[in-house]
Amino acid sequence: MSAAATAGTYSPASSAGEKRRERKEELRRHLAEDADWPRADGRSFHDCRPAFMQTGPTTAASGSAYAEFGKTKVIVSVFGPRESKKAMLYSDTGRLNCNVSYTTFATPIRGQGTDNKEYSAMLHKALEGAVMLHTFPKTTVDVFALVLESGGSDLPIIISCASLALADAGIMMYDLVTSVSVSCFGKNIIIDPTSDEEAWQDGSLMVAYMPARKEITQLTLTGEWSDGKITNAVELCMDACSKLCDILRERLKDASSLAE
Amino acid sequence: MAATAMDHDGGEVVTPGELLGNSSLLAGLGAYADGRCVRASITGHRRLVPPPPGSTDQRSTVEVVGHKAHGAVPQPGSVVIARVTKVMARMASADIMCVDSKAVKEKFTGMIRQQDVRATEIDKVDMFQSYRPGDIVRALLSLGDARAYYLSTAQNELGVVSAQSITGGTLVPISWTEMQCELTGQIEQRKVAKEATIGILDKR
Repeated sequence: MSAAATAGTYSPASSAGEKRRERKEELRRHLAEDADWPRADGRSFHDCRPAFMQTGPTTAASGSAYAEFGKTKVIVSVFGPRESKKAMLYSDTGRLNCNVSYTTFATPIRGQGTDNKEYSAMLHKALEGAVMLHTFPKTTVDVFALVLESGGSDLPIIISCASLALADAGIMMYDLVTSVSVSCFGKNIIIDPTSDEEAWQDGSLMVAYMPARKEITQLTLTGEWSDGKITNAVELCMDACSKLCDILRERLKDASSLAE
Repeated sequence: MAATAMDHDGGEVVTPGELLGNSSLLAGLGAYADGRCVRASITGHRRLVPPPPGSTDQRSTVEVVGHKAHGAVPQPGSVVIARVTKVMARMASADIMCVDSKAVKEKFTGMIRQQDVRATEIDKVDMFQSYRPGDIVRALLSLGDARAYYLSTAQNELGVVSAQSITGGTLVPISWTEMQCELTGQIEQRKVAKEATIGILDKR
């Protein structure tokens, strides 16, 4: 055989994936120590990111709200109640139509700016129980959520922001809905995870809660959880939801006093 | 969030879900009863309304008013003002403009079917002799089907309240089926609402 045809061998560089391994190693160390390691943004495990919320960014909508939790930025517009689309089946009660979409620049890797069907369905489920659908028969309320920047805990923030927008639109509701998620890392539970933390989590839990009525409208549990931790995590979420709801109420009261 | 009694417009601002009081109060506008307590369902000012004199129930009503509520929504049984957009052989379509005394913000389509135009001789109705595009009609609303709300004008007080003739003059009602043009004196056929004069719109 000629020299040109000899099969050349190749080997990957020894440093491939080193960064990833290092991070995983570091995380494993922390988990083994079971210590309160500092999070990337300097929070402790049970600290939420500062919540900035505001009503009325979209003037064309019946109601709207903007939320910024750390890097996560969400804008929600509510339209209606307006006439349901002709193709829809007849219904005596009102309808809630939810749509969650991402901008092309929401994620570090430039995306398509597509609708997120899964989040849309989950947002609908979370809000459905809180809205008095019988007060606007045969009509539809449209909730459009746009994620400007995705920085972790997107869905809980969308849900909280949407409930603020619904209240701003004057849609009758049983209560405001707020939502908080936690991530599970081994023995530890960290609240309001960023996208990095979400990427490394063992399991996650999201709770959508109506604080005044003490009712959970949605609960999503994924991944690996050890016994006894779930109850703790749910309680943690519910308490955080109540506190977030106080912020929402404050914003609504501010907006209402500004209007006068 | 304690229920401090305030019975004027400047009452404290409440938000959906907030406690307004216990079952010693009745839930009014923007409030709902939840088991043994009354809660707000919209953002606004809390207001107490004393019971009407002579009523058997001596409880006050608590309501939430003042802040923006969503636009009026057609409710079954409400009297609406609609503008006729299209007249066909068996029905006419109309855009709803007012529900009771409130203007609607969004577009709602209503449909007046041939059998709903008047109360008698409903099979002899000629749609073109009853409505013309552009007429302002007072009608009773029902939810209808998936496509449109059904509007009925089968009552004396319901029907055309304001219309223009072909020449563009205002039509003046002369009987419950006829209207006359102010400019030319020409008579046109309409299903006229009783007392169809300007200024009647806010009577209800």
